[in-house]
Amino acid sequence: MQIKSGIGALRKMALNMSDSPMLPVRKLAASELCRACDEKNLPFRTTDELEDLAQVLGQGRAVDAIRFSVGMARDGYNLFAMGPEGIGRHTIVRRHLEEQAPRRETPPDWCYVFNFETPHKPRAIQLPAGKALKFRDDMERLVEDLRSAIPAAFESDEYRARQKEIATEFTERQEQGIGAIEERAKTQSIALVRTPGGFGFAPMHKDGVMSPEEYRKLPEAEQKRLEQVIGTLQEELEQVIHEAPKWRREGQRKLRELNRQVTRAAVNGLIEELKTAYRALPQVVEYLARVQEDVLDHAEVFRQPKDGEQPTLFGVPLPLPEGGESFLRRYQVNALIGHEAAGGAPIVYEDNPTHDNLVGRIEHIAQMGALVTDFTLIKAGSLHRANGGYLILDALKVLSQPFAWEALKRVLRSREIRIESLGQMLSLVSTVSLEPEPIPLDVKVVLVGQRLIYYLLHAHDPEFGELFKVVADFEEDMGREPGADLLFARLIATVARHEKLRAFDRAAVARVIEFGSRNAGDAEKLSVGLRDISDLMRESDYWAGTAARKVISAEDVQRAIDARVERSDRVRDRLQEEILRGRLLIDTAGSRAGQVNGLAVVQLGGFAFGVPHRITARVRLGAGKVVDIEREAELGGPIHSKGVLILSGCLSGRYAPNKPLSLAASLVFEQSYGGVEGDSASSAELYALLSALADAPLDQSLAVTGSVNQHGEVQAIGGVNEKIEGFFDVCRARGLTGGQGVLIPASNVRNLMLRRDVVEAVAAGKFSIYPVATMDQGMTLLTGVPAGERDALGRFPAGSVNFRVEQRLSEFADRSRAPQAGATGTKPRRRGHRA
Amino acid sequence: MKIRRVIVALDPAPRHRALLEAAAEAAGRMEAELVGLFVENQDLLHFAALPFAREVGVASATRRPRDLESMERLLRALAKEAHEMLASIAGRAPVRWSFRVARGSPLVELLAAAEDADLVIANVEEPVELPPSLRLRIVRAGDLEALRAALEEEGGGIVLCAGADEASVRRLLRQLAAREES
Repeated sequence: MQIKSGIGALRKMALNMSDSPMLPVRKLAASELCRACDEKNLPFRTTDELEDLAQVLGQGRAVDAIRFSVGMARDGYNLFAMGPEGIGRHTIVRRHLEEQAPRRETPPDWCYVFNFETPHKPRAIQLPAGKALKFRDDMERLVEDLRSAIPAAFESDEYRARQKEIATEFTERQEQGIGAIEERAKTQSIALVRTPGGFGFAPMHKDGVMSPEEYRKLPEAEQKRLEQVIGTLQEELEQVIHEAPKWRREGQRKLRELNRQVTRAAVNGLIEELKTAYRALPQVVEYLARVQEDVLDHAEVFRQPKDGEQPTLFGVPLPLPEGGESFLRRYQVNALIGHEAAGGAPIVYEDNPTHDNLVGRIEHIAQMGALVTDFTLIKAGSLHRANGGYLILDALKVLSQPFAWEALKRVLRSREIRIESLGQMLSLVSTVSLEPEPIPLDVKVVLVGQRLIYYLLHAHDPEFGELFKVVADFEEDMGREPGADLLFARLIATVARHEKLRAFDRAAVARVIEFGSRNAGDAEKLSVGLRDISDLMRESDYWAGTAARKVISAEDVQRAIDARVERSDRVRDRLQEEILRGRLLIDTAGSRAGQVNGLAVVQLGGFAFGVPHRITARVRLGAGKVVDIEREAELGGPIHSKGVLILSGCLSGRYAPNKPLSLAASLVFEQSYGGVEGDSASSAELYALLSALADAPLDQSLAVTGSVNQHGEVQAIGGVNEKIEGFFDVCRARGLTGGQGVLIPASNVRNLMLRRDVVEAVAAGKFSIYPVATMDQGMTLLTGVPAGERDALGRFPAGSVNFRVEQRLSEFADRSRAPQAGATGTKPRRRGHRA
Repeated sequence: MKIRRVIVALDPAPRHRALLEAAAEAAGRMEAELVGLFVENQDLLHFAALPFAREVGVASATRRPRDLESMERLLRALAKEAHEMLASIAGRAPVRWSFRVARGSPLVELLAAAEDADLVIANVEEPVELPPSLRLRIVRAGDLEALRAALEEEGGGIVLCAGADEASVRRLLRQLAAREES
């Protein structure tokens, strides 16, 4: 009776003050609890009738950013596509790049060829798109042709005759030199003796060399003379032998010159032909000229030595040119990148962005136990493949690969790809390696990653901002404006066709749209999390299949949603069971002072659900401190602590403002053994505290969620749907009385997308949802007693909750001052001791 | 004329290996005995015994002293090497073979050995002056006709001079062996 009159009085006041804190709270109507999708907005029977959706839904900002980045042909305008997983970042980015790529010019091909001046620095040659492979084949054919043309030239009679001429010339020269000395020696009766290792001189006797006995018989003067003559001859011989290598070198030079002359005709004919074919490419022509010179210099490599017969020069075996085959590798072309001529700009997604996979690598082969390499073993990286086009990378993968991020930044900054092996870079290996000529780089890199990564990189990597100037920030949801439902329906139709699913009928589409809205946690939004939506659609298709339906109905969609929850709600079931068995203490009836039902959301994997929690408060005279037991036990997070500290501010500002707050209060989430975070329980904690202070029992059939500020206004929280359903499930299990309900922040009403059973219970008057804007409204609802508002004299009406709270706090303040006044100059302890 | 004994003058230098191989192969095919002859050149020993004997190296063009002992050692080593080369090549042919070492003038020793041989293969430079007492016929490398003619005649040995053109001798020997086989 008293309450009613109180509420009547409040209504009168409300006419004057529309935003009064005492505005009565109305129950929400069932229609406000879930924004159902109006099937009138869906003018079709099944999704088969709908056209594909070409545009991207709800990502206007991101799409503009992508377009801008793609169109901006300047350095550093690389793109970072950020947003949560499952939004379709890859798909959207790719689709835009695919639109753009064919319109762009096909980038040039690249080859690595042998560098005849500095063999360890292979040269890069640029060729028009589609020409690299042809050039490689042309060079292969050239070598084949040379291998038949050059030996043929060597077989010619002309060559053989002239070769013999040169060889004879050398032999004769040497013979003549030695022969002359021999003749001169003979005139002095000295013989030239050919020993196994060289030549010697000895006095002659008849036809042969003088024997030692005969020599000893000679007069001493004669012996001396002979020795002298022989000494002179030896010197002369030495000089002649000294000349021999020079003659040999000269002979070799002449032979080389002969080789060049003989092969020139054959080589020039073949190479000039190629030069003409590639005359438009000066780099290639220059390379071919070098090949020409090199082939002429090494013509003998092309002669296939006959079996077992080593090539010789003047009887001296020539070293075999290091394996003819491997020598000819130098004329090969490593076609690093070969595009199709009309392919447009390449789009490359590197799934495994290791350092080597990005910048390319130089492979080695084991040869006689050593690792060797050459330019043919240079392998392209994804940057080479994407050069002139687009490279898509996952930010997290790049960052988690050693040195990949640094390498990526380096190439983007220097605008050229330099292949350096990691082992070389870190001096881990010291095998023979190459320094391939760098290839100029023009690529647009798209990094796809979570927002956190973007912000962290921006904050901690000074180069990041320089290199990735454009960010495409993907939205999680889109507005549910008029017409949005139909667009979303077309998206559903597109996905269904793409995934080869059954068609969705109108009601099924409506259910999917509602699911999208519920996923967004907002009745005015639709989640554009494509992965979740597609998953639901696929699962609906499965259930339609098990029910042997040709078209997916709302029933199948609902079944898919329910089955999903069922698969992952074991923990929720156990918690609810514990509540029902009375092990977790939750009251859903009666009333009690200092105790209120709070609501928490538990997120496990991809599944979130609400659980009621008992929150209790105890008060006594004290030093003005509200103790948050959760924080003391280090179970509460910083936001939760902040919420509790706000309560002290709220109390001290509202009640007995001219007296010190002499309260000792403690607050706790009963039976909570894990961490508590967030401030969504701060209004519940405030109610428990006020109830304890005023000794006003709170209605236990209600649960509360919402945060509160220092002025006592109730503020929005997250997860409102899950929280309401969590309490509803407990109440329903115990039996709905009609008095049960949940207090939610008024500002959360537009987030309501509640389950059907909740909506139905509210429609039947078995459950209520109260949108609360102020703590006074909440206290009035929970206690059934008006909270009370200060009158003209600044006093709360007697008997109101606020009056009782203020009275209690004044009492505490007075009492806390009283003993101090009577104890001037005496220490309390000593006085206590005396007593 | 049937060839029963082939004498080959041995020189262990690797480039003469092919000549020896050809001789062994021919001897094997003709079922003749192969005799390897290594001559320790008397002139070399005399030269080394001189008190001022100096050798000028072909490759190094430097003078180094030589004495008799070292020259003998060198010749022994060469003989051993020649023996081993003959053993390995003839063992593979296969052919009946023996090895002989003689000391003296190489040509004289060779011609002396040729007395009891049908065919002598030697790396002898032309012209060779033969003492008229010897019943020998000289055939130059590459001259198949001359060799055929020599083979037609009865009695006395044939000296096949390789000179610098060993390849021709190898070819000739192959032809000869083929002829003998048929």
